[in-house]
Amino acid sequence: MQNLTILIVDDDPVIRRLLEQRLIKANYEVIVAKDGYEATRSFDQQHIDVVLTDLMMPGDLGGIDVLEIAKGYNSAIEVIVITAHSSVDSAVEAMKKGACDYLEKPINFDELFLRLEKISNMLSLFRNASDLRQAMDVTEEAAGRTIQQLEIHSSKLQMILDNVENILRSDDITCEERVEKALIRITENS
Amino acid sequence: MLKITPEELKLVGQYIHDISGIFLDQSKAYLFETRLGAIAEENGCQNYREFYNKAKRDGTKRIERQIVDAISTNETLFFRDKAPFDLLKHKLLPELIDARSPASPRLKTNIKIWSAAASTGQELYSVAIIIKELVPDLSSYSFKLLGTDISDNAVSQASYGKFNKFEIERGLPRNQLQKYFTAFGDSWKIKDEIRAMVNFRKLNLMLPFSALGKFDIIFCRNVAIYFTMVDRKKLFNKIADSLADDGFLLIGSTESLTGVCPRFVPKRHLRSLFYQKK
Repeated sequence: MQNLTILIVDDDPVIRRLLEQRLIKANYEVIVAKDGYEATRSFDQQHIDVVLTDLMMPGDLGGIDVLEIAKGYNSAIEVIVITAHSSVDSAVEAMKKGACDYLEKPINFDELFLRLEKISNMLSLFRNASDLRQAMDVTEEAAGRTIQQLEIHSSKLQMILDNVENILRSDDITCEERVEKALIRITENS
Repeated sequence: MLKITPEELKLVGQYIHDISGIFLDQSKAYLFETRLGAIAEENGCQNYREFYNKAKRDGTKRIERQIVDAISTNETLFFRDKAPFDLLKHKLLPELIDARSPASPRLKTNIKIWSAAASTGQELYSVAIIIKELVPDLSSYSFKLLGTDISDNAVSQASYGKFNKFEIERGLPRNQLQKYFTAFGDSWKIKDEIRAMVNFRKLNLMLPFSALGKFDIIFCRNVAIYFTMVDRKKLFNKIADSLADDGFLLIGSTESLTGVCPRFVPKRHLRSLFYQKK
């Protein structure tokens, strides 16, 4: 099983089915949506890593809207847009809005798999980095707690020391009284 | 990658200390190589001694700035460690607002906050977001939020307020991201209302900074760890001079002022530690 969950959004049932079959065969987990509305519901229902969406779809929600909705849910979702050769400009527009890549119709599956593999490798790296960061955060937090306890403790000790120093320096009482008072101050706090 | 020799390490290490206060010992050879190697080669140098000589002779200080940018860049996050920001929201700001409220309603409550090693601005923007949430109507307040950093690059990125998805995805809750940032392709830009609350400028903490005036809250987190003990003592002594008598200092969660600056006393509030002047 590949480690990516892919959402296919296309109004054309033939292309939708073709993409679904090829991706399932390549061991990806696949969800399909026939339009932007179905796609939006999918984000609510489960975790999605990659969205593969047609750019031109009938109805209110086009590919760009699907891209924006996906990024709104989670900016880490990667979006690849599929476009007809004649609308490469809109694909470039989509990339400016955060799509990671575009594919021209007819879809070259070797090209698609190559891109998915790249995304998959990148995600693994991110997950590793995020695990390491989390481990670092936990360690830092534990270290922080210990250091802060020591900090408070040493500050209290310093206060006692300052206090004892003042007592020992005071010249209104005898030497013996100073020592006795200082010792009391130390034992009070030990 | 251009390898560094122990002699070059000493020479360049001393130079970096002189220009930035950052102290890198022999164990940090990898940092010199990964961060400075490419710049040395870009400047046509075959080794680090040649690079050092070129940087010293460069009257425009362009290479010096490149070195500082490369060596001082460190990870910074929005709301790095949640605890200090909770502390700010629930204790420090409410207390300061009480203490600074003027007698006349026509006067404004003045509060000055300084992020002393602001890097690319995440810490100070996080502070601005907290203020905005705590005090939705700022009209009777004058908050002055200053962020300083030694790196020109960091200061200009902070001023621009644009962050890529990697810089933004950790730490910042989704609702705050959508409320205070505008999507900008694959990046996010801080909204003008928050941007307008802050200022950034270049500052080397090793130099005098009393001209900045007195602050009510100073953040100096995770920067002194790169300084020698002597420089740390000087820095926190100057910070004590720049902090209002009832002001608050926040340092990194794994940092300590024990033996560094006797003018500060640590205080605990819930899970956080802050410092005040004795």
